[in-house]
Amino acid sequence: MSYFRIFLAFLRVNIYGETAYRINFIIQLFQSLLNLGMTLGGLAIIFTYTNLLGGWQPNEVLALVGVYFLIGGIIRLIIQPGMEQLIESVRDGTLDFRLTKPADAQAIVSLQRVEIWEILEIILGLGVLIYALVKLGEIIGVLQAAEFVLMLTAGGVIIYSFFLILSTLSFWFVRVENILVIFQSVYEAGRWPVSLYPGWLRYGLTFIIPVAFATTIPAEALTSRLNWQTLVGAIALSIVLFIVSRIFWKTGLKRYSGASA
Amino acid sequence: MKHLIQLYVQQFKTTLAMMFQYRASLVIWTIGQVLEPLVYLIVWLVVAKSSGGSVGSYTTTDFAAYFIVLMLVNQVTYTWIMYEFEHRVREGVLSVALLKPVHPIHSDIADNISSKIITLPIMITIAIIFVFAFHASVAPPLWAILVFIPVLLLAFSVRFVLEWTLAQAAFWTTRVGAINQSYFVAFLFLSGQIAPLTLLPHPVQILSLLLPFRWLISFPVELLLGRLTMVETLIGLGAQFGWLIVSIILLRIVWRAGVKVYTAVGA
Amino acid sequence: MSKEKHNPMAYAIHVRDLSKFYVVSQQETGTKAAFQNLVHRRKTEVRAVDGISFDIEPGEIVGFLGPNGAGKTTTLKMLSGLLHPTSGELSVLGYVPSKREAVFLRQITLVMGQRNQLVWDIPAELTFELNQVIYRIPRDSYRSMVTELTELLDLGSLLKKPVRNLSLGERMKCEIAAALLHRPGVVFLDEPTIGLDVTMQQRIRTFIAEYNQRSGATVLLTSHYMADVAALCKRVLVIHHGKLLFDGELSGLLQQFTSHKTIIIQLDNCKANLSNYGEVKSYEDGRYTLRVPKAETARVTERLLAELPVIDLLVEEPPIEEVIARVFAQEEK
Repeated sequence: MSYFRIFLAFLRVNIYGETAYRINFIIQLFQSLLNLGMTLGGLAIIFTYTNLLGGWQPNEVLALVGVYFLIGGIIRLIIQPGMEQLIESVRDGTLDFRLTKPADAQAIVSLQRVEIWEILEIILGLGVLIYALVKLGEIIGVLQAAEFVLMLTAGGVIIYSFFLILSTLSFWFVRVENILVIFQSVYEAGRWPVSLYPGWLRYGLTFIIPVAFATTIPAEALTSRLNWQTLVGAIALSIVLFIVSRIFWKTGLKRYSGASA
Repeated sequence: MKHLIQLYVQQFKTTLAMMFQYRASLVIWTIGQVLEPLVYLIVWLVVAKSSGGSVGSYTTTDFAAYFIVLMLVNQVTYTWIMYEFEHRVREGVLSVALLKPVHPIHSDIADNISSKIITLPIMITIAIIFVFAFHASVAPPLWAILVFIPVLLLAFSVRFVLEWTLAQAAFWTTRVGAINQSYFVAFLFLSGQIAPLTLLPHPVQILSLLLPFRWLISFPVELLLGRLTMVETLIGLGAQFGWLIVSIILLRIVWRAGVKVYTAVGA
Repeated sequence: MSKEKHNPMAYAIHVRDLSKFYVVSQQETGTKAAFQNLVHRRKTEVRAVDGISFDIEPGEIVGFLGPNGAGKTTTLKMLSGLLHPTSGELSVLGYVPSKREAVFLRQITLVMGQRNQLVWDIPAELTFELNQVIYRIPRDSYRSMVTELTELLDLGSLLKKPVRNLSLGERMKCEIAAALLHRPGVVFLDEPTIGLDVTMQQRIRTFIAEYNQRSGATVLLTSHYMADVAALCKRVLVIHHGKLLFDGELSGLLQQFTSHKTIIIQLDNCKANLSNYGEVKSYEDGRYTLRVPKAETARVTERLLAELPVIDLLVEEPPIEEVIARVFAQEEK
C-alpha cells in the first residue's frame, strides 16, 4: 500500500507542524461541540412540535446528524484541504513541485494536506451515531452494518470525485478559489433527510451536488430504509464518478503541462 | 460630510469593479445566503403540515412569509467584517489603512452598502419566486410598512457597529475563529433564524429580550409580518436605539485600545 | 553632525534617543513545554531600536543601511506612526507621528516593498481615485500629478490594467505613484526596489532623485542594494542591532571602515608565491588579487614592482558591500 505510506508521510509532516499549537486542539473541540450543540438545539426545538419529521423519528434524525458530522469531518480532514491546496498551487505555479515526485500525482495532490484536529468532528459524529443507535434499540445486523459501511464508502468516493472534478476546473479557469465553498454551504442541507425537500431541491442535492449520497443514504442503511436499487445505484455512481474524475484530472494535467511548458 | 459622501461614491465604484471580477464568488455567496433560510423554511413547513397546518400562531403561509422576509432582512444587515479583520491584522494590511487620514470604518461601511446595492435585486427576485412557490402572504398595516424602513436601517447600523467592534478581537488574539463561531451560534438561535422566537422555550425568549440579536432580525421581520402592536414596535425601536448607543461607545473604546496594542507590537 | 543649537522644529525629521523594545514570549516545541507555555510563558526582551538619534533637513535624501533585523523597518514604522516608540523623542514635520493626526498623515507616505495598497483585482486607476478622495486632493492638482507621475515613471497604459496582470516592476511603479499622489513632503521608502531587475531598479532610482528635485520632499529610504544608496544618497545612516553605527557621507563611511585595499597585478607569465606580500584572494591566468592593510599599500606596491615581472598593477578600494558586511561582521563579535 504505497498510497497509505504517502498518506502517513504527509500526516507526519502535518502533525509535526501542529504540536507547538496544543491549544488548537482545545479550540477545535470547543468549535465542534458548539456546532453539535447548535444542531442538537435546532432538533430539540423542532421535535417539541412534532415527533416525526418527513417520516423520520427523532433518534433516526439523530443518527443522520451523526453521519453528517462523521462525513463532514472526513471531508474537512483530508478531502477539502488537499483540493484547496491544489487550486492554490495551480495558481501560483507550485504544483510543479508535486508533479516532479515519482509517485501518482493524483494521490500526492489528494493526500498532501491533513487538517488533523478535524478528527474530533469524526469522533463526535461517531459518538452521536452510536448513541442514536442505542436509543433506537434496534439490533444492527451484520448485513445492515455492511450496507452502512458500503454506503459510507460510496458516499466518500462520490464526494471525493466531485471535489476533484471541481478543483480540476482550475486547470482551465484560474479563478475558482471559492468554488469549494459552494459545497460547504450546501452541505448544511444534508443535516436533514433529503426526503423533506421539494422535488427540485432533492434532485439537486442528489445529482448536482451529491450531498444526499454522503449523509441521507448511509443513514438510510442504518434505519432500514435502503432499497436495493439505491444501493446498487450508489455503488455504480461512485465507480463511474471516480473514473470520470480520474479522466478529468488526466486531461487537465495534460493541459497544465502543455501550457506551462 | 461632503468628503465622506465623495469617499462613499468612490468606494462604490471600486466595489462595483471588484464585484464584477468576483461574479462567481457572488453566485456562491448568494446560494449560501438563500439556502439556510430555505432549509429552515422547508423543515418548519413539514412540521406544520404534519401537525394540522400550524405550529403555535404560525400557519404554513406564515412560516413561508417569515423565512422569506428573514432572508431579506439578513441580507440587508449582513456583514463579513469578522472574517476579514483577522486577515488584515495578521497580514499587516491594516497598516496601509492606518496610514490613511480617514478612519478605516468608512471604507468598510461604503464597501458593505455598495455590495448590498448590487446584490439586493438578485435577492429580491429570489424572494419573489419563493413567495409564489411557497404561497407566502403578508398583510401588515400601513404604519408597519412605513416604520419598517427606519427599523431595518437601524438594525443594519447596530449589527454593523457591533460586528465591527467584535472583529477587533483580532488585535488581542489570533484565534478569532472560536469567538466568531460562538457569536454566530448565539446569533442564529436568539435572532430567530432557526425558528420564530415565540416557538423557543420560555427562558430562551427572556434571554433574547436582553441581548441585541432579536432586535436586528426577528424584530424587523415580525414588524413587516404585522405581528407587532404599536407599543411593541416602540419598545423595539427603543431597544435598537439603546444598542446603537452602547455599540458605538464600545466601538470607540475598543478601537482606541486595539490600535494601541497594534502599534505597540507592530505589524 | 552636531547642530545642537538648531531649532528641532526646523528639521523635517528629528529623532532623539529613540528606542523600541518588544517583549517576545518564547514558543518551545514538545508536549511538556507546550503545556508549560499555557501556564507560564518565558519572555525575553528584544531591543529592535536602541537609543538612536539623528536629524534630517528638509529636502535631504538619506539612506538607511543595515542587515535584516537591524531595526530599519521598525524605525520607519515609528516615523510614520504605525509603531509607538518605547521611549525617546520623535518629530516629523513638527508632529508626533504616533498621534496619527489626519494633517500629519496627509503630508507623509510610506512605501513598503512587499506590502501593497493597490487592490489586486482592479485597475490601479481606481485605487488612485480612491486616494484622491481619501487625501482630499483637489481635482486639478490630482490631474497634473497623475500626468507628471505617468511621464516620470512611464506608466502609460498600466493604470488601466487590473493590478494582478502587471509584472512585479510595473506594480511597484504604480504602487509608488499611488503613494505620492498627495505630494507628501516626507517620503519613507522601505526596500522600494526589492525583487526588481536591474533596469527597473535603475528606473525607480532615477525617479526618486527626480521627485526629490522637483518637489523638494525629504526622502528616507532603506535598501538591500548598495547601488540604490550609492546612487541616491549623499548621507547614510548605518544601523545594527538597533544602534546607530554611523551617520555621515557615504565616502566618509568608506574612509572610516576600510582597513584594507585590494591590489590586482598581472605577472608576465609566471607563477609566484605572493603570500608574503599580502593575502592572496584569487589567481587566474597570471592575474593575482591581493588584500593588503591600508597603511601598507604603498610599501607593498613598491616591493611588488621592484621584485616581480609586473605587467599591470591596479589598487582598488574594496566594494562598498564588502565594507558594510565587514562592519556588521565585526559588530557581531
